[in-house]
Amino acid sequence: MLKLAFYGKGGIGKSTTVSNLASAFAANGLKVMQIGCDPKADSTASLHGGARIRSILDLVRERNNDFTLDEMVRLGDGGVICVEAGGPTPGLGCAGRGIITALEKLQEKGAYDVYKPDVVLYDVLGDVVCGGFSMPMRKGCADSVFILTSGETMSVYAAANIAMAVRNFRGRGYASLGGLILNRRNVPDEDAKVAQLAADFETCVAGALDWSETVQQAERLGKTVVHAFPDSPMAAQYRALADAVLAAARKGDAPC
Amino acid sequence: MLKRLNGQDDMTGAEIPIRDAAFPAPFVSGLEYNAPARGPWNIVHTGMLIPESHQVFACAQGCLRGVILTAAEMLEMGRMSWISVDRNDLFDGSLERNIVDGTAEIIRKLPKKPRALLLFISCVHLFAGCDFEFMLGELRAMFPDIDFIDCYMNPTMRKSGLTPDQLMRRQLYALFAPCPADPKTVNLIGNDRPTDGTSELAQLVKLAGWELRDITLCRNYEEYMRMAKSTLEITYLPTAKASGDALEKRLGRKHLYLPLSYDFDEIERNLASLADALGIAAPDWSEAKRNALRALDRAKEIVGDTPVEIDYTATPRHIGLAALLAEHGFHVTRVYTDAMIEEERPAFERLRALAPDLLLTATVHAKMRFAGKGVHERGDVLAIGQKAAYFSGTKHFVNIVSGGGMYGFDGIARLADRMVEAATHEQDTETVIQYKGLGCRSCL
Repeated sequence: MLKLAFYGKGGIGKSTTVSNLASAFAANGLKVMQIGCDPKADSTASLHGGARIRSILDLVRERNNDFTLDEMVRLGDGGVICVEAGGPTPGLGCAGRGIITALEKLQEKGAYDVYKPDVVLYDVLGDVVCGGFSMPMRKGCADSVFILTSGETMSVYAAANIAMAVRNFRGRGYASLGGLILNRRNVPDEDAKVAQLAADFETCVAGALDWSETVQQAERLGKTVVHAFPDSPMAAQYRALADAVLAAARKGDAPC
Repeated sequence: MLKRLNGQDDMTGAEIPIRDAAFPAPFVSGLEYNAPARGPWNIVHTGMLIPESHQVFACAQGCLRGVILTAAEMLEMGRMSWISVDRNDLFDGSLERNIVDGTAEIIRKLPKKPRALLLFISCVHLFAGCDFEFMLGELRAMFPDIDFIDCYMNPTMRKSGLTPDQLMRRQLYALFAPCPADPKTVNLIGNDRPTDGTSELAQLVKLAGWELRDITLCRNYEEYMRMAKSTLEITYLPTAKASGDALEKRLGRKHLYLPLSYDFDEIERNLASLADALGIAAPDWSEAKRNALRALDRAKEIVGDTPVEIDYTATPRHIGLAALLAEHGFHVTRVYTDAMIEEERPAFERLRALAPDLLLTATVHAKMRFAGKGVHERGDVLAIGQKAAYFSGTKHFVNIVSGGGMYGFDGIARLADRMVEAATHEQDTETVIQYKGLGCRSCL
């Protein structure tokens, strides 16, 4: 079982990318579990027609501990096992605590033992702002962390912060940095800026994605690009990224 | 507008005749009251059962008050230290570091290194997502000759998962790792007081030539750690069942849950299961049953029609005990219970049919604030349990918690004898029940 966590600045395209990776892995015959670690609970939307699914935090709120593992998941396109951690009411409560609770519940109910996924993808909100957001990179959760970024200054800045957190936690046996994923926004010197960031943290750019209208079209259909437009150039990019991510994760801490 | 809940005229919501009561939760949960009858053990008392151990509590100062007072009352302040948490620890990300460094400093300053250290983290550490495994890993690397146990003081989580009491009883045995077993050895797990040697449980173990091990009997750390090598695990308190299940899973050894009971058939079934696990034929228990019945008859003769009131702290099977006593002609009028366990359902139905007017009374309902101290005083009551004694204001009570170490037919006979003793002797209730942790050093 390979467990991968995806971080990056808000709005950078984590959920879209992770869902497309899930579709690509599933199309290759792998059993995939995608866990959205965002209070908005919309990480997996494009894997089940854009509809919202009940989050683990919803279940905890409604029924304390009186629910089954099956109720925590929903099967999406390609058989991807979709889970949404959920979170508190916006502006109230503690989102980090929500992630901790959700991941603990998955462990308690034996999610990994029962479903035995080949690949687990954690789609994590924004930045490592508190203990809750570091949870997916801890021992027992992700093996590798991938950071999505564009060449925009704030995105690079956020990516650097996340990479720093991964480095700081490395001594604890937490996840290693699998690499960066460049999600192009077509800003000047974009590839060079991200390559420099990768060099600063002694990691590699595992893959790159072009900006494409196809992504928006698929989103409007409530589907992933890989599922809705499998023959498109963008789908090919996601499939290539899936291969690259797997290769980088298997390589672990080895230098690029 | 505020309304005074004086409980003098209207106990609606705080008590209900059993005929109208819902099972297992007869009362609505709300604002709660805690009566000053402190016999049941808390996590500090339970943790102290590990010989030669030291406890470190990391929590806010307001929460430390209770645990420190417990240790002080036990005259065990030398076995407890603490690390206080303040707001800045959250801002600068030092929650984990402070625990590791603070615990290390405590250990270095102790006059003698403990064999085991129970490290308690609190709600704030769990909310903040502290990595307990990381902290323990650091401490284990620094002090390889000390066994560290992760413990939890997290009252805000008591409504889900294991209760703090269950969790503490489970963690008492967290150090036990898989190892070759000593033949013919059996652990009694999760109790906080020894079980009577005259009980059929103890007698059966002896008859089979097995050795009974119990943390309450361990005089030193070696004896405690020898329990890790026992062949069989037994629990009989509901709060200890999770401990037995965890050991069975981790050590791959059989766990027998033989619930404390006042039902003759259930007792006999439990003893048959135990005999089977010990590899001997179950003896004939007829004489033991007759003894129990004779003791109940004697007690009934003395107690007569005096109202009997029982509370949940006396025994986890308080409904079962009430049913047994009602079936033997005792005038059981009230059971103090906030909720019942599923195991009590058959006894609940029997009691409902037998004594439909019997009152179930909540102990934590806000109206109970005024139920003690004479407001509801019924001086002629025979109480079983400290809360029943407090609320009724009686001087005649059986002072036990968690079954009092009395088990089986022998346990019923002993309890009947204790009722006679209580009926014929007055106690200074207020003085007796104000101490925490009945059976601890502070209460000896």
